[in-house]
Amino acid sequence: MGRSWSDLAVFIAKRLAQLVPVLLGVVIITFFFTHIAVSNPCAIWSGPKASPATIDACIRNNHFNDPLPVQFYYYLEGLLSGNWGVDPLFHLPVLPYLLSTFPETLELVLTATAMMIFVGIPLGVVAAASNGRIADHLVRIFYLSGWATPTYIAGVILAIGLGPLLGVTGGDFSTTSAPVPQITHMSVLDAIIALNPSATGDAIVHLILPALALAFLNMGIATRMTRSSMLEILPLDFVKTAKMKGLGDFWVLYKHALRNALITTTTVLGVTAGTMVSGTVVIESIFKWPGIGLYAYDAITGYDFAGTIGVVIFFAIVVVVANMISDILYGILDPRVAWR
Amino acid sequence: MSLDLLPGRVAGIVGETGCGKSTLGHSIPRLLPEPPAKVKAGKIVFQGTDLLRLPKWRMPGIRGTGIGMIFQEPINSLNPAFRVGDQIAESVRIRKLRERGLIPGIKPEVKGYDYSKRELPKASDVVTGPFIPPNVSQTIKGRGPPMTREIHAEVLDFLRLVRINDPERIVNLFPHELSGGMRQRIMIAMALSGKPALLIADEPTSALDVTIQAQVLTLMKELMEEVRTSILFISHDLGVIAEMADDLGVMYAGHLVEFGPVGEIFESPRHPYTKALLRSIPNKYKDEGALPSLSGSVPNLSHLPDGCTFHPRCPLARDVCKHKPEPPLAPLPPGPQGLLHKSACFFPEEVPTMP
Repeated sequence: MGRSWSDLAVFIAKRLAQLVPVLLGVVIITFFFTHIAVSNPCAIWSGPKASPATIDACIRNNHFNDPLPVQFYYYLEGLLSGNWGVDPLFHLPVLPYLLSTFPETLELVLTATAMMIFVGIPLGVVAAASNGRIADHLVRIFYLSGWATPTYIAGVILAIGLGPLLGVTGGDFSTTSAPVPQITHMSVLDAIIALNPSATGDAIVHLILPALALAFLNMGIATRMTRSSMLEILPLDFVKTAKMKGLGDFWVLYKHALRNALITTTTVLGVTAGTMVSGTVVIESIFKWPGIGLYAYDAITGYDFAGTIGVVIFFAIVVVVANMISDILYGILDPRVAWR
Repeated sequence: MSLDLLPGRVAGIVGETGCGKSTLGHSIPRLLPEPPAKVKAGKIVFQGTDLLRLPKWRMPGIRGTGIGMIFQEPINSLNPAFRVGDQIAESVRIRKLRERGLIPGIKPEVKGYDYSKRELPKASDVVTGPFIPPNVSQTIKGRGPPMTREIHAEVLDFLRLVRINDPERIVNLFPHELSGGMRQRIMIAMALSGKPALLIADEPTSALDVTIQAQVLTLMKELMEEVRTSILFISHDLGVIAEMADDLGVMYAGHLVEFGPVGEIFESPRHPYTKALLRSIPNKYKDEGALPSLSGSVPNLSHLPDGCTFHPRCPLARDVCKHKPEPPLAPLPPGPQGLLHKSACFFPEEVPTMP
């Protein structure tokens, strides 16, 4: 049948195996782009007042005089043995830093995705149910305004306009005020694990605006997809069957019709969530959110090759895994689909 | 158009494609999407209530236990995302909650007939509510609260009612795992499980292939005798209607042109359109050459001709048919059987001698 748990395990294994060529491609492209674009960043890394000896040492340490394929070999060797290189400014290893910043971004993206699911999808249902009438237009205005707003403007308005109302001053939304043990590196989750209600509240307050900004900008995708697939589903006979059972409008729409409309929405949402992780760069810099997006920005502008490649690797993993999750959900939602 | 459905009787509706049969069927439980559809005038009186004057939010209370419906295409009429057992259970649950007064809606009249006696109800004990086997399954199996187990047992009963022999297996399947005939049985079981006082069957067999059609028709025929609910049976197939219905209504271009007992209409049609329609049935036994057919086609419903809508194709048409607005559906003098027979023709007495 292709729908049992063992089929699912095989499906996941296959998808994860696909990660290998994807990652190799991503690493090759990023490595050669960065190293060809700036063939010798040692002068920048060492600062304006560095002595020629320091720069020479830097070049020697990083093999910048070797041919590119050789440099790539050294990099790949380090990558596979867990040494993802060091940050040129502070000489800190890249991997632990990525591992601590990535969950922060994940927290932001998951919260934004949850908002898209619990606000965007019902709005799509409302729009489809009142197709062409006033509620439909209001919903369209809402999500189009989100789509049409440039990220930096929406973010700045929320950060400066609403931030102080929530008690976040200086536009710094990183939750550093409440010291709780960093176990998952997700501020809300850490505060909950530490059983610290005030820290939890504080973490949520800090999370809500950046997540809202991210969700508002992408809301249109969830709403629009839901609306259009609902419009395809609503004229079908099984919706009439559901009505003829005596079900009220709510159950007809949200149980019978939405369940089928979700199949397409889920696919799109999975892809969106994957790209949202890499799209948080601007949002994170505006809100000073200590996530991987902010790190990506710093790494790229600071000629931090190891950091840039590391970030890209994480983004690639997220996109592949998000797609995999949406495909799994697709199979759960649609009983006609087998996991292959 | 005007149509009276009597309790416990099966009324058939025939007509060509596009004459408004399905629209009629969908307009009774107000299933037509509004807008664009709009019922401009008229009354749909069901158990003393005019459904058209009922606020929209009260319609769900009428559906299911009041009016049930079977749709044309079983491929589309079951929700692909849920197991068929759960879909029937939903319908049973709604009825049970209404029977107990927990949710608003029409309560089915539980004038049940004891199915275990295995004898058919007599025509004299016509019941407005259908009868359904009261718990054929002796043991109530399954887990969960009593209500859930009761519902589960009833779901199995209804599946047995539509002659599904292994309901325990079928309840766990999804619609796409079933054949067209099976799906239509499930659909019939689902409609019946609400114990509706009126069942609308909108071309229930047209989308099935011929052998399955025969099976489903036989099943419906049997169920009609057992269940004794009022049925509006819509079909374009005169043979099917002749088999299934007690009364027959013939529709042309959105109008009911003739209504009466099936036997009498087949014997002596009193509307030229009905007569032409009956002539177009091929004779099973001998080759009579080309079948007689009417020239022209059903007019566009938004540009109906003046006068009688049938006059451009009618061999009996004369001046009065072209100008005088549509003839009313008038009762005819009693026929041989003395049953009510109506025709919407200016000259019904000329139809028997129609060329």
